[in-house]
Amino acid sequence: MARDGATVLPGGAAEASAAPRRGFLASVGEGLAAWLPALPLMALAIVFLVVPTVELVVRSFYTPDLGWNLSFWQDTLTSNGSRKAILTSVRLGLVCATIALVIGTPLAWAISRMVTAKRSTWLALLNVGANFGGIGLAFGYMAALGTYGMVTLAVQKVISGFMPPEIGSFTSLVMAYSYTNVPLFVLLTLPAMGIIRTEWMEAAETCAATRWQFWRYIGAPVLAPFALAGWLLIFTWSIGLYGLAYALGRTASTTGELRLITLQIGLTLNTGAGKEERAYVLAVVLLLLATVALVAYRLMLRRALRWFT
Amino acid sequence: MVHLGRIGRWAFFAFIALYLAIPMVAVILYSFSARWTSNILPDAYTLAHWGEAFRDERMRNAFWRTTWMAIAVLLLDIVLVVPAVYWQRVRNPKIRVFAELSAAIPFVLPFIVIAFGILKFMGRSAPQMLGTPLIILLSHAAIAFPFLYWAVDGAMAAANVGRLNEAAVVCGASPLQTLRHVILPNISSGLAAGGMLVFATSFGEFALVQILAGSRFENISLYSLDLLLNTTSQVELMAVLTILMFVVLFGISVAVVYLNRGREGGFLPGSRALVTEKNE
Amino acid sequence: MTRSSSGGVSLSGISKHYGAVRALDDVSLEVAPGELIALLGPSGCGKTTLLRSVAGLEKPDSGRVVIGGRDVTQDPARKRPIGMVFQSYVLFPNMTIRDNVGFPLRMRGASSDAVRKRADELLALVGLSEQADRYPHQVSGGQQQRGALARALAPEPEVLLLDEPLSALDALVRVRLRDEIRRIQQMVKITALYVTHDQAEAMAIADRVAVMNAGKIEQLDAPAALYDEPATSFSAGFVGNRNALELPVVNGVVRLGEALTANAPAGSGGRVVAFFRPEDVHVGQGGEAATIENVSFQGLLTRLHLSVPTGGEPARLWADLPSRNAAGLQVGGSVPVRIDANHVRIFPAE
Repeated sequence: MARDGATVLPGGAAEASAAPRRGFLASVGEGLAAWLPALPLMALAIVFLVVPTVELVVRSFYTPDLGWNLSFWQDTLTSNGSRKAILTSVRLGLVCATIALVIGTPLAWAISRMVTAKRSTWLALLNVGANFGGIGLAFGYMAALGTYGMVTLAVQKVISGFMPPEIGSFTSLVMAYSYTNVPLFVLLTLPAMGIIRTEWMEAAETCAATRWQFWRYIGAPVLAPFALAGWLLIFTWSIGLYGLAYALGRTASTTGELRLITLQIGLTLNTGAGKEERAYVLAVVLLLLATVALVAYRLMLRRALRWFT
Repeated sequence: MVHLGRIGRWAFFAFIALYLAIPMVAVILYSFSARWTSNILPDAYTLAHWGEAFRDERMRNAFWRTTWMAIAVLLLDIVLVVPAVYWQRVRNPKIRVFAELSAAIPFVLPFIVIAFGILKFMGRSAPQMLGTPLIILLSHAAIAFPFLYWAVDGAMAAANVGRLNEAAVVCGASPLQTLRHVILPNISSGLAAGGMLVFATSFGEFALVQILAGSRFENISLYSLDLLLNTTSQVELMAVLTILMFVVLFGISVAVVYLNRGREGGFLPGSRALVTEKNE
Repeated sequence: MTRSSSGGVSLSGISKHYGAVRALDDVSLEVAPGELIALLGPSGCGKTTLLRSVAGLEKPDSGRVVIGGRDVTQDPARKRPIGMVFQSYVLFPNMTIRDNVGFPLRMRGASSDAVRKRADELLALVGLSEQADRYPHQVSGGQQQRGALARALAPEPEVLLLDEPLSALDALVRVRLRDEIRRIQQMVKITALYVTHDQAEAMAIADRVAVMNAGKIEQLDAPAALYDEPATSFSAGFVGNRNALELPVVNGVVRLGEALTANAPAGSGGRVVAFFRPEDVHVGQGGEAATIENVSFQGLLTRLHLSVPTGGEPARLWADLPSRNAAGLQVGGSVPVRIDANHVRIFPAE
């Protein structure tokens, strides 16, 4: 690039020989000018995102008296409670993401082919779902499917003795998470649905392909990477959800009936219960899961776009 | 066959619509119910809870606190992000590498983990910061910046900021003048859309506020949780609060959709970065 | 390329309505085996609907479609012996060019060896052998359309359907690919229907051109005949660059000052439209004085925009004359013009 300090201007050797003398200060100035407008943002990101993350990683491996060691990791991974928390969080992520994928993909496809007015209605409804989260959703869920919830009472009129999943149970969390996850998944994958052009279906038809063959050979291969990328995001976000889990599962969590990584960390910090060093390890486990998911997500997106860019 | 398919389709849509709508409907009914025993619908209706909610000082304070915090976070992020993205596009593309890496952290790492890390790091290096609005402001700005970063980056790409900048420089404008008179007016809708997402992130945030400030900075989420877990409190007040919070967030998302209308290539988050990365 | 000669296409009484809009109005058309007919007309004239009805992508309200002697009216597109090239590139993005070309054979259950052999044969025919293993987004628009043509021809269909295949391409590529399509069509001797709104394209490629308007075929003729003898006012206006002047009829005679005197056709009312080509306007050989409004040099020919006084609104027309005869003509100047009455087509004004 022409602005680099080392560039020799067309003008002669005299210019070039002068360069080393000015070089140091000039390159410091150049370097500063190249980064200056971004420095405040970088400082914020380093202090509030990068360093705190590193802090947790270090603390999970380091104790002042023993130095670097794996004792926290051994302790945490052999503890039944922590093991259960990790397994349940992963299972929750898998189940939630898969539900979002299975319901969300056909829904997104159908919405992408709707006429504008009908589509806007659905988008509004999905936006309600995607924005109704956290503590408010926990309340709404209880009002609908709690012991005296609207839906519970309505179903009991038909099936006497019907009881919804207990608040704080794994199933109740999956059902409540789905309110946010399914709409989010649809909103995330909707633009990708527009890639499939109606002409492709017609072209496939004139090539003697059935509707099923079109999806088998063209539709599914094109959409699959986008859908899987969406699955990975929902998985990551589901294992990391905290507010809703705290509101629904706090009681079940203190009694040990429900264990999730996020809740274990939150309870340790809020009540001082449990060993803090286990919270470091659990936090790093979440970090690892998120990193793997992010790398997989990037690969998936790259794959999804490879036929178009 | 076709007939069955159509009925199945219709049932699928109806079920989803109902599933999505019911909790919201229940909350709305709660906020207007005078008495609700064991019937499906309330026994009697009233507007009283809405009045009570607005007279409740704790709620007014929580609402006010949450709102000004979200506005402050938004302003801070604009000041931090816009110059960085502008410079990355016209001067130093390496800024992108750093910015995308930092943006990935709040994108995938749960906020509770970020809160935990900040708590430990600040507890060690600046304990007097804990519990202050300042730490909430800075940490919210950090977790919300990716939304603004991606939106502004996209808007600048769409406005072909490189060309605009060259044109402005040829006219003798300084970088600051260029930013103010040429760049900003051309990225305003992207800026607004990203800014609203920043606002919404701070407005609805729970984990960081709970861990880093707790009752010393009671925002709407914290107050809601208290109402929900405290069995003596009024459920109807909680309903009103939930609706208010939802209306703000829903209104923002509608505005974002409106501001982003007609924009191409909004695939999954990060896909634009992937495309530019490939092209550059 | 060996093939049994393909059959013809016979359309009879095809009608199609969209609500109150009549897209096709009782259209009948016979395409001889190996013939290429261009369906020409402005957008909304029904040409694409007609093509899609042959393909089976559109179901007509009434009428019969017979391809190669077989009535396919009730068959869905995938069961018809057709190959189709679409307007915008619709190669499947997730398959290489070769896999795209082989796709229709695969769908018909051919063995993978046979699919590959036939695909390579066709890729050689359309000149894409080098690009066989590339994905559609890696080749140019023109190459994508060649691929689409190869895909359409792969299963040896009875009829090739082309829906404005060149309209998304650059002007230069367009002409080259147009000639290429014609060459291949004649080489393979396949019956073809070619939809276009570009009259030059239709004239250049087709054995016969069907001019369509408002859901009907206005005229079906060989290009030269269509150019010289437009049968209706619509084809006269749509095909060829023609002057169109609306003129009064006095005592059965149409006049434009001293420039034109012609007999009005029987049954025309008080006003007629006279169509004539710019090369049939003779400049500087007597007639009526006209003012030169513009002179534009176009190489071999020079085009003059002229205005002829009529008493009321002046008549505006243009004339093409060999450039060597145009020297000295100036904007604002006056020249005598005369229109060759033998080459004027007159239709009643609507």
